[in-house]
Amino acid sequence: MITLEGINRIFQVGDQQVHALDDISLTIQPGEYLSLMGPSGSGKSTLLNILGLLDKPTSGRYLLEGREVTSLSDDEQASVRGEKIGFVFQFFHLVPRMSAFENVELPLVLAGMAPSVRRERVHVILEQLGLMDRAHHRPDQLSGGQRQRIAIARATIMKPSLLLADEPTGNLDSRSGTDVVEVLEQLNAGGITLVVVTHDGQVGKRAGRRLRMVDGAIVKDERG
Amino acid sequence: MRLGDTGKFAAQSLIRARGRTLLMLLAMSIGVSAVVILTGLGEGARRFVTGEFASLGTNLVIVIPGRSETTGGAAALMAGETPRDLTVDDYLALSRNPLVSLAAPVMVGAAGAARGRLEREISVVGTTSEFLKIRHLSMDRGKFLPGGDPSRAVNVCVIGEKIKQELFGKEQALGEWLRLGDRRFRVIGVLATGGRSIGVDIQELVVIPVASAQALFNSPGLFRILVEARSRDVMPRLQDQIRRTIAERHQGEEDVTVVTQDAVLATFDNILRALTFTVGGIGAISLAVAGILIMNIMLVAVSQRTREIGLLKAVGATRGQVTMLFLSEAVLLASLGGLLGLLLGYLGTTAIHGVYPDMDSQAPLWAVLAAIGVSSLTGLVFGIVPARRAAALEPVEALNG
Amino acid sequence: MRSRDFVGFSLSSVMAHRTRSILTTMGIAVGIAAVVLLTSIGEGVNRFVLAEFTQFGTNIVAINPGKATTFGAPTGVFNTVRPLSLEDSDALNRIPYVTSVVPVVQGNAEVEGSGRQRRTMVYGVGSQFPEAFKFLVAAGDFLPDDDPRAPRAYAVLGSKLKSELFGDANALGERIRVGGDRYRVVGYMQSKGQVLGFDLDDTVYIPAARALDLFGREGLMEIDVLYAEGAPADEVVAGVNRVLVSRHGGEDFTVTTQQQMLDVLGSVLGVLTFAVGALGGISLLVGGVGILTIMIIAVRERTSEIGLLRALGATRQQILRVFLGEAVILSSLGGLMGLVLGIGGAWLLHLAIPAMPVHTPVSYILMAEAMAVVIGLAAGVTPARRAAAMEPLEALRAE
Ligand SMILES: Nc1ncnc2c1ncn2[C@@H]1O[C@H](COP(=O)(O)OP(=O)(O)OP(=O)(O)O)[C@@H](O)[C@H]1O
Ligand SMILES: [Mg+2]
Repeated sequence: MITLEGINRIFQVGDQQVHALDDISLTIQPGEYLSLMGPSGSGKSTLLNILGLLDKPTSGRYLLEGREVTSLSDDEQASVRGEKIGFVFQFFHLVPRMSAFENVELPLVLAGMAPSVRRERVHVILEQLGLMDRAHHRPDQLSGGQRQRIAIARATIMKPSLLLADEPTGNLDSRSGTDVVEVLEQLNAGGITLVVVTHDGQVGKRAGRRLRMVDGAIVKDERG
Repeated sequence: MRLGDTGKFAAQSLIRARGRTLLMLLAMSIGVSAVVILTGLGEGARRFVTGEFASLGTNLVIVIPGRSETTGGAAALMAGETPRDLTVDDYLALSRNPLVSLAAPVMVGAAGAARGRLEREISVVGTTSEFLKIRHLSMDRGKFLPGGDPSRAVNVCVIGEKIKQELFGKEQALGEWLRLGDRRFRVIGVLATGGRSIGVDIQELVVIPVASAQALFNSPGLFRILVEARSRDVMPRLQDQIRRTIAERHQGEEDVTVVTQDAVLATFDNILRALTFTVGGIGAISLAVAGILIMNIMLVAVSQRTREIGLLKAVGATRGQVTMLFLSEAVLLASLGGLLGLLLGYLGTTAIHGVYPDMDSQAPLWAVLAAIGVSSLTGLVFGIVPARRAAALEPVEALNG
Repeated sequence: MRSRDFVGFSLSSVMAHRTRSILTTMGIAVGIAAVVLLTSIGEGVNRFVLAEFTQFGTNIVAINPGKATTFGAPTGVFNTVRPLSLEDSDALNRIPYVTSVVPVVQGNAEVEGSGRQRRTMVYGVGSQFPEAFKFLVAAGDFLPDDDPRAPRAYAVLGSKLKSELFGDANALGERIRVGGDRYRVVGYMQSKGQVLGFDLDDTVYIPAARALDLFGREGLMEIDVLYAEGAPADEVVAGVNRVLVSRHGGEDFTVTTQQQMLDVLGSVLGVLTFAVGALGGISLLVGGVGILTIMIIAVRERTSEIGLLRALGATRQQILRVFLGEAVILSSLGGLMGLVLGIGGAWLLHLAIPAMPVHTPVSYILMAEAMAVVIGLAAGVTPARRAAAMEPLEALRAE
């Protein structure tokens, strides 16, 4: 379970203050499927980054599975990210010199897992995503949709409880976009908590819970 | 494209990548300053040594007892004893030669010097009054050895400044007695400080008349005869005549080695020149390394600026122009580094000169020119590969890259 | 993260930019090669010189007249008021551990034999000279153990002098003149070659007492005392001091052990080797700047990768290690390449100029490689820290 209480995020740009998140309170149940929509600059990415421990709120409390995480040290946050959170980015962020296999393997490598275990797990997940035949291709030899699926495989290989996707279809045509969303929804069906930021109404509609943000505040929270 | 514009373009991209430009300048300037400082040191040493020799007069001919047929110069200087000594009479015979302006016999040895309870082992030189002029020495106080018949033993001595300090301290030395071995000598002069002379510290010397030295060491043999020729031109002739004179006096046996100061000087000069060249060369290896670095960074720049190159080509830049742009960037970088290195090098040599005033460590002009030339050339040579790679990019690919 | 994975990760980025990595590596390689080659030459010369000296054995003590040295040369060559005598030499024979004592007078004279003449080195020595200095007699005998004060007029020829005067003919029993005096040849020596520029074969050996007469000298130039292998040098020196002080009434001589000489020589040559090595090190410094530059560029280029790794749970420490590892891989590969170049260069040099002594001790190889690693670490530290200090979010955003 995720609980945000009175989260503020203020950016200082020169002598000007940008209030990117304005007193956000939010509870997300395990296994929920959220979409986050709103105009550009409304604070969607900022909220996602705070959820992913990539950014710290200026004030407010963040409880992840009952644990206060905003005050954790840099290294502790890194290990929470590694174990509990998966990210999917608009621009994939694959390491260009590494094969698909190696990209997916990366979190396991960082966690210090044994090579034999790693191979096993990467194979399983690539099999699930139908990417086995692309395992030894480098990112520049893959299509956008394939790249994003590799990125999803990488985000979920550590079996995180929370999957955060910032405009995962933003760089894809609608067909591969749908593919990618379906993969994410399959994972959600498997029990993972999924938060998707999107500008695409079609994609946003599919979520069980739909949030709308304007000027750093959640203005709408619909379910069903 | 005008040359000025090419330069401006290159300078702009160097300034934009400030950090790496500085590092490359650093690398190049380390190389250049290494060459400048090292050759400066070598040249300084050479000048120091040649200066020392020159101060002894370049018209000097040295007569050494003994002659060896196989061994070379080094051995000749250490020829050791000979059955027939080089004597004071030999010296007198040589000094009568009209080609000779000055001549002095030299006898050297070691003896205990004592004054009261103070005693130490010192180097003793037995010679005549001419020694002062031949060795370009000067007096601090008192007088040098008196002239006159060299075969007359007079118990007077001239001492170096350090000996004076050690045995007399602040007291007056002139007119005092000094015991050398089992004889007593009256101090008549103190040598001025000012210089060492090729391995011998003038300040730690006691000079006595040659006849007294013969008596002291109980040996008639001279260590050297120093002869100064009237002019440089007559030196070969004088050398021949010296050999002949000695042979006549030694029952036809030519048992001396005659060397000119010039010959010794030339040997040292050659050795030190070679040394300077070698250390300069070793320093220059780092220039090559700096060149490799420049090539490397330029290659990186080409791949990072692929789009820019594509754009340039799209707006009509020719291959030649693109090549020129990158090449001039490399050359600019290398020569700026070279200049910086030169500056550092001069600071270095100046600092060395400050610490060791005796060392006139100026890098020779050839080394400076070579360092600058090589560094610019390095830029050119190592800039070619990246520049050609840039020029060879296809405009469309470059724009998409 | 496992250490193998660290290496693998760093290696993958080194391999990804092949040209760049090779050039960076080459910078270090040239530097290491220069250091290895130069120190190899230095060490080769060092060993050569030491071997030249130790061929006479290391258990020798030399005694020269006069205290300390004068004009930087052994005092024996110059005059002194306190000569060493043949009787001194005799007395030293009775010191414990001493196996042989050789009085030495050296000079230069004309030698005449079988109608030919030649100016050569004359050594006035004692009968124990060959065993003390490990010289071998080729034919006949060395000088006999005569009464040191009245030895017979026998001479032994060095191999070169023998062939110059007598060619291949038998010289034993022949009469020669040394500086006008008549001697009978009783033997000649095996060739010893040149030692530090002195031709040891162009010599004639005569009894020390006769050499003193010949040169009109009062005292010996040197007395060399050989002591038993393994005997304590200190005690021998103490014995020499005791005997000579009691005979002379004071310490008016200088005792130098071969070991002292070797130590001084060794340290001088060691400094020299170090100095040329340091000169080569300048290139290494430039190579280090090369690694620094390339690593700074790499960190800049891979900012978003760093952000990604941090998002995936990498700690700052891990990022630091990855980039340090990369720098060290570059420099140690460069080091290996440099070792190959340097050792190969030394070997080629030796092939090209056989007279040039080169030697590369294993310790130097290890040291050079260690130096390369240290340079990698030093050059990598700044860029790696810069990488580790990046905020994940900002790094992810970077283009
Ligand atoms: N690092 C930053 N420094 C300063 N201001 C920032 C920073 N990051 C975000 N902002 C500001 O915070 C506000 C929210 O930005 P955010 O990126 O969360 O918007 P978004 O809803 O994700 O927009 P988009 O749909 O365009 O991605 C914006 O006004 C933005 O300018
Ligand atoms: Mg956004």
